[in-house]
Order: sequence, then C-alpha cells, then structure tokens
Amino acid sequence: MSRRRASLASRLWARARTTGRLILHFLHPARFVLAPLLIVVLLAGVLLWLTGGLAYVAPFVYALF
Amino acid sequence: MRVLGISAHYHDAAAALLIDGELVAAIQQERLSRIKNDPSLPITAARACLAHAGIEAASLDRVVFYEQPFDKLERVLVNLLRHVPRTWRQFPRALASQLGGKIYVLDQLAEAFDLPRDKVSCFDHHRCHAASSLFVSPFDEAAVLVVDGVGEHSSTTIWHGRGSSLRPVERIEFPHSLGLLYAGLTSYLGFAVNEGEYKVMGLAAWGRDRYRDRFAKLVRLSDDGSYELGLEYFAHMSDAELGFGPALERLLGPRRPPDLAWDLASERDRHYADIAASLQAILEDALLGLARRALAQTGARNLCLAGGVALNSVANARLLRESGCQRVFVQPAAGDAGGALGAAILGALELGDPRPAALDSAALGLAVDVARAHAIARELGLSIRRVQDPIETTAELLSAGQIVAQVRGRFEWGPRALGQRSILARADARATRDRINRLIKRRELFRPFAPAVLASRCADYFAAEPDDMTPFMTTVAPIRPERADRLGAVTHQDGSARVQTVTPTSSPALHEVLARLAADGRDPVVLNTSLNGPGEPIVAGAEDAIAFWLRHGVDAMIIEDLLIERSA
Repeated sequence: MSRRRASLASRLWARARTTGRLILHFLHPARFVLAPLLIVVLLAGVLLWLTGGLAYVAPFVYALF
Repeated sequence: MRVLGISAHYHDAAAALLIDGELVAAIQQERLSRIKNDPSLPITAARACLAHAGIEAASLDRVVFYEQPFDKLERVLVNLLRHVPRTWRQFPRALASQLGGKIYVLDQLAEAFDLPRDKVSCFDHHRCHAASSLFVSPFDEAAVLVVDGVGEHSSTTIWHGRGSSLRPVERIEFPHSLGLLYAGLTSYLGFAVNEGEYKVMGLAAWGRDRYRDRFAKLVRLSDDGSYELGLEYFAHMSDAELGFGPALERLLGPRRPPDLAWDLASERDRHYADIAASLQAILEDALLGLARRALAQTGARNLCLAGGVALNSVANARLLRESGCQRVFVQPAAGDAGGALGAAILGALELGDPRPAALDSAALGLAVDVARAHAIARELGLSIRRVQDPIETTAELLSAGQIVAQVRGRFEWGPRALGQRSILARADARATRDRINRLIKRRELFRPFAPAVLASRCADYFAAEPDDMTPFMTTVAPIRPERADRLGAVTHQDGSARVQTVTPTSSPALHEVLARLAADGRDPVVLNTSLNGPGEPIVAGAEDAIAFWLRHGVDAMIIEDLLIERSA
C-alpha cells in the first residue's frame, strides 16, 4: 500500500476542480434558482475551511444534511 | 478488474472488493474502528479488504462511492429553502457537513488510495442499494424494491433487474419516506435512531395494532401502492435531533422518555407497545402495496429487497407470504453498508466484468489470528488450552448448558452474527436467555434471541422450509407448537423466531457444531446471538475477542482451536 500523501497543492487543485464541477452542475437551467444559495454555500465553505470547520452528528443528520 | 466500493458519511460505513467479478471481501468500518455504526470514510476497512486479497491500492481499476454528492447537496439546499425559517438554525450545520468533506469525498478517496481522480466514480444511492441485492441474488430476473430513509432524492424506488441490467421503474421522493417514518417513531418511543429500530420491531409483537386509525393520518396508503406521509406530524425536514413534531404527540400522546426501564405489565408501556404494533402493521401494509406494485410493473416473479427497511425481518416474511411473488431475497447488509457492495458491483459491470455469483455466505470479513489470541491470553494468564476437536468441545459445552462464544472463520458482513462471531447456547431453556441478558447483553426483556438450525432439519422445528433469506437471518418463521418447549429461549412473544438455517457453505463452523449435536442425538438448534456487549460492535479480531472475554460473562470461548475457560 502506498503511503505517499498528495501534496497540499495537488489537493487544493483537486478541490478547485470539484468546485468547478459543482458550479457546472448547478448551471443546469432547472437548478438556476439554487445559484444564489450555492454562492452563499461556497463563501461559507471558505470561511469554514479558514476557521477549521464544524463537526456535528445527530440522529436525523442523514435526512437533513 | 479490481473494483473497490465505498459507503460512508451517514451511518454504517463499509468497503467491498470485487476482483474479476468475484466478491472477495466486504467489511464494515465499525468492526475495525470499534466505533458502533462508524460513519467515517472506511479507509481502514478498505485497506483490510485489499490486504485480504493481497493486492495494492495502486492496482485498483476503480473506486466507486455509493452516492452522488452533488445531487445530495442539491436536495439538501432545496429542502433548507423549502422549510425556511424552521431550517435557518440548521443551515450552518448543513454547510459544515457538506463542505466539511461530503462534496469532496471522491477527491478524498483518490488521495487516500493514491489513485488518479478519474479512477474514482460514484453511482446513485438507490441504484447501489438495488445492485447490492439483485446482483448477488440467485435470480436472473427480479423486481427490486429499495426502501430506506433517503438517498439523494429518493426514499423508495422500484427497479426491474434482468441479467446485468437494472432499469428504474418508479420512485417516491423525500420527505415522504417509510424509513424516516419508522425512525421518527423509534425516536418517539425513546430508542436511539439507526440502532433502536430492531427494538421497535421486537416490541411490536407485545402490542395490539389498535392505533391503526391514528397511523392512517401519519401515512396515507394509496391503492396503486404508493404512499405519502402526513408531514405535519414529522420534523425530519427541519430538525436533525428529533424526527417528529408536536402534532405527533398530540395524536399519540407524550413521547416515551429514553432510558426508562420497560414494564410491559404497566398500562403506560402497553400503550407504547400498541404504538409499536400499529407502526409495524402499517409499515407492512405499505411494503406489501409497494411489492405488489413492483411485481405488477415489472412482470417479474421474484423480489429483491434493499435499504435499511429491508432489515425488518417480520415484514420480509409477510412479503414472501402475501405479495404474490415466488421468492424473496435480502442480502445480509441491506442497510447503508450494503451500498458499498452495490457500488463495487456497478463499477465492475461498467468495466465489463461479469455479474458476481449468488451470495451463499456472509463470511466476507477477516479471519481471526489465533496465534495472536493465544499470545494475548497467555500474557494475561487466562485459562487456555488447544483442543484437538473444537467442534466436539463446543457441542459438549453447549450440551452441558454453557454459554459459548465462538470465534471461527471470517467475520460476517452485515448486522447479524451468523456463526463466525456468535454467542451460542442451548435453545430450550428460557433461563439461558435470561442469563445471557443479565451477564452480557443487558437488553430490554421484550427483545427475542434468534435460533440457528441445521437447514436440513428446519422443518422439524419451524413451520417453514429454508428459503433465500433464512441463511442470513433476514426473515422470521413460526415455531411448531409441538416443539415450543424445546425452543423456549428463542421463541418470541408471538410464537415466531428470526431463524437462521445453516448449511456447510453458509456457515461452515456453525454447521459442524449443529451436525455434531444432531449426530449425538440432540436438537440441532442453538440460540445464536451476536458476539458483542451493549453498544459495542461485533467482535472482529483476536484483541476484540479477548477484550470481550474479559468484560463479559460467557462460560467459555472457542477461538478456532483455542479454548478459554473460567478458572475454578
């Protein structure tokens, strides 16, 4: 099993590509209405990343989150 | 092709490995992390699967996740918007949950296994569930019914499976969900969600379904087999802690406080037992409607079930009896863990591998390291000895009325211990059941223990023949009244039992013990319950087995040919 860890740069690049795919996903006409919310989500994501995020576990978390 | 399937992030994370279409290993993360229902990304379980197969992660052709992260996020956002302002407090938590890793899960998997990102893919949650059942079933063609809490958007789906194809037929979407109905009432009855649903099912046999009219408001069943929840009674759309709202308490009375001792002789707890019975009855009616619909829409004669609701063994038995199908199959890890299996199969099929063989055993985990167990036991000064014939030894101990922990072979896939990591005891005496409860399980007394019987002798003790579910303990059968006195420890309140039929392929170690009992002229039936204490995952390796021995009062433990006994 390789234990080599991806570099920070490559991990950030992977996240950026995924974020790009996410934006493309929400550019579908049927999902336009969610675009403003997505922007808020992504901005909040940056804040969460900068502040170390939150951990939360609850019984119905799978239904809601 | 080498394909790894992964389920994670909600409950029961797991990994499953297929090589050239053959299911090589399938392991739930909780068995190795020792955290019950561990939802974390199952890297340890995945590495254990790879180690068992003797391959490197770099040689994997595909890693497949059991859910579409973007579709899930879309549903979460739509739901949060739809239920503003009730959801505003959940918003930061939802964001943290999604952005803390869930939408980047495919990147995380690529990094964990040091694979190019294009070797990591995902499939729809319910498609993975459906695949996990159909493609390891004995059927070439079947209607597949998936019922769970919720996947990305769907909570109930019907599929038509034939050969290696799986075609979606119909679906019901969140927030209408039979899984969340059951979870909400589980919470109302004071049990832990995702763990206490078995308790509700057990409790139901003690009650009468006299609240059917009230439950008709909670879930409205249509003649076409579909259903709708009365959403005003539920809160799973806006509250992560409690699945029900104040309206439910106005309808059924106040919720039962958790951790209150049960007394089914009391009027209070008989009321709650009646609620459990009513819930179970309406769930069964709903599933029956869906199953009939699935069979009618697909023209298939066999039925595969998947999703957490498919672990309701009482409902499964009724579907086999009354839906009009010929056979029903439920694989042992029907809940979210099973999604890893389905994901792996879908990935392998996409790469051109053949469909896997029908599942004939749930022993898909790791074998126990008996040398390690021996070394630990010796170091701790335990009373140990190697035995020439562990089968004979186990049979003798059981015949003498002892409670025996059996650790042999590869541990099981799914929530049921099926003979590899089991506590075994005589099935005849109710006192044995009480002793197991008092010393080890500390369960509510209304919960039954299950029997394991030699498949060839099943009909001698139960009013049923072995079927596609009995090897995995995913169904129930009535006990023959004339045998009731010999099955006192495993007979539930309603005269049924969650029977496991045992063959040389389904559970070799347990089969040998039962065959020896039969050869000695004894009943080839034992009480079989999982090798764990309250709140613990089932034992996996040598360390877990010895730790269990030290914590709990079984009379003897057999680890392959190593016998541990209590010192005089």
